[in-house]
Amino acid sequence: MERSCQRERELTDYRRRRTGRFLLLLAFMAVLLLVVSLVRVTSGDWEIPPLRALALLFGVIDGKGSPELLVVRTLRLPRLLAAVGAGGALATSGVVLQGVLSNPLAEPYTLGIASGAAFGASVGFFLGGPWITPASFLGAFGALWLVWILASRCGGATTAHLVLAGIIVNAFLSAGVTLLKALADDRLGAIVLWLMGGFSGAAKESAFAVWLGGALVLLPALGAAHELDALSIGEERGTLLGIEERRLRLILLATSALATALTVSHFGIIGFVGLVAPHLLRIFLGPRHLPLLLASFLGGGTLLAAADGMAQKLGELPVGVITALLGGPVFCWILLRGSRP
Amino acid sequence: MTDGVSLNNLNVVYSDKRVLQELTANLGASRLTALIGPNGSGKSTLLRAMAGLIPYEGSLTLGDREIRRWTRRELGRKVGFLPQNGSVTFPFVACDLIDLGRLPRRRAFQIRTGRDDGATVRAARAVGVEPLLFRSMKELSGGESQRVMIAMLLNQDPDLFLLDEPTSSLDPGQAVAVLSLFRRLTQRGKTVVVAAHDINGVLTWADSVMALKKGRLLFHGAPADLTGANLEGIYDTPFTAYRSEKGETLWHASSP
Repeated sequence: MERSCQRERELTDYRRRRTGRFLLLLAFMAVLLLVVSLVRVTSGDWEIPPLRALALLFGVIDGKGSPELLVVRTLRLPRLLAAVGAGGALATSGVVLQGVLSNPLAEPYTLGIASGAAFGASVGFFLGGPWITPASFLGAFGALWLVWILASRCGGATTAHLVLAGIIVNAFLSAGVTLLKALADDRLGAIVLWLMGGFSGAAKESAFAVWLGGALVLLPALGAAHELDALSIGEERGTLLGIEERRLRLILLATSALATALTVSHFGIIGFVGLVAPHLLRIFLGPRHLPLLLASFLGGGTLLAAADGMAQKLGELPVGVITALLGGPVFCWILLRGSRP
Repeated sequence: MTDGVSLNNLNVVYSDKRVLQELTANLGASRLTALIGPNGSGKSTLLRAMAGLIPYEGSLTLGDREIRRWTRRELGRKVGFLPQNGSVTFPFVACDLIDLGRLPRRRAFQIRTGRDDGATVRAARAVGVEPLLFRSMKELSGGESQRVMIAMLLNQDPDLFLLDEPTSSLDPGQAVAVLSLFRRLTQRGKTVVVAAHDINGVLTWADSVMALKKGRLLFHGAPADLTGANLEGIYDTPFTAYRSEKGETLWHASSP
């Protein structure tokens, strides 16, 4: 009895220490995000001293009509917010998809959602500006629906079937995008650049859209964090623990699709954020979804804001190039680390 | 007092193949039933049907209600299933995994309390994995992870336990400990069904035996009534009976 009480205390202590470590990590990440944000807002073609930028933003100095304030407010702040929101949405979608499908390699691309959104947006590009976002939604949902139907028809919506169906749909839609690029002649340059991904010239409305996407994927997932834990253990584990697995999967897959569509339609394809951020954070936090989701939103946002800064420094490279260049090696490292006995 | 399981003309069809055929049997409550039969005889399928994982034809009742009529959450509280494949995709810490067993009983947004920690420790102690509570699943051996999964099942505290080869990666000492634990649980009103290849291991602890072959029920009765001829019919190989010093009957398969 004595021993069992002691073990219980150990367990309670262990959880408390772990929560403490998580809060510390979260605080550290918040500071990191603030630093990256400050750098992003103050540096560029026109350097503004950090203190002056803060004073202007918070109205300590009256900056009415000042061109510095104009640059910060209308150019740098929306761009920063867009990058943070998109990074958060993509990283959270990654965590949700990996958990729902119990597959560490899942992310918006594996399931063809991003390709669907890109294909839809390309069609929208062809039809004219206002069609881009709705067409992208339709593309993302269409791709997800196609993947779902394909997987269900060939033996149940299990992980392996979903990913296989995702690969097929991905290949098909990527070919579709290439075909549209070929047909788009004079608009070709714009489509290519947009598909590469970037935040240059991001508008406030677009920033709002990706934050909305982030919230849409994050909030339901946080509510079902324990259920996500159960789903992520393996196939049918969630069902055995009393979860309506199909329904929960469908809801969470749909919100991830929505977040992906909002991000892709505004800022193009930005790869690897949904893989790298969650996997790096799992090293520190383990696979439990409650801490992982919160940290991934913050971490993904910071990562993409920093990558966007680098892209800008290198002469407005597409940010997708930076995330792929950084993410590729990191991902290989994660794979090698995971396979070590 | 818990509910027994009744099968009445139970059929399971997988893509035009009849995997279970016309099974009729009564698995009494508070009993440990051994489910034996060759590979591919339908043991796992029967367990999966009882867990409500696959559609079936005919009747399969838990208590007085068809399995398919229970909601998923109700089944999560009533039925615990230990699948053959105990691997875990992400490296959870053992105590978190064991704690997940409480999920069917937890309300949305309910905060974990000290009582949950107590339940986790008790479940872990029952299968001797208390020292492993803070270890990651990827550091554990096959037998250790299997016992953690059993602890999760105990924490789920269902009325009906369905175990698919629960002792496959356990050493003889642990296997006996696990089977005797489930035997004790039947005395506390739980119903247990164990599918196993190690017939001697499981028959020692069973109240009754169900033998399947090619999806059909070949034998259903007390372990003492099982004969060498029965076993030969089931496994297509002759069996010889030996009597242990304790008076238990042990079966040995010999070459035809």
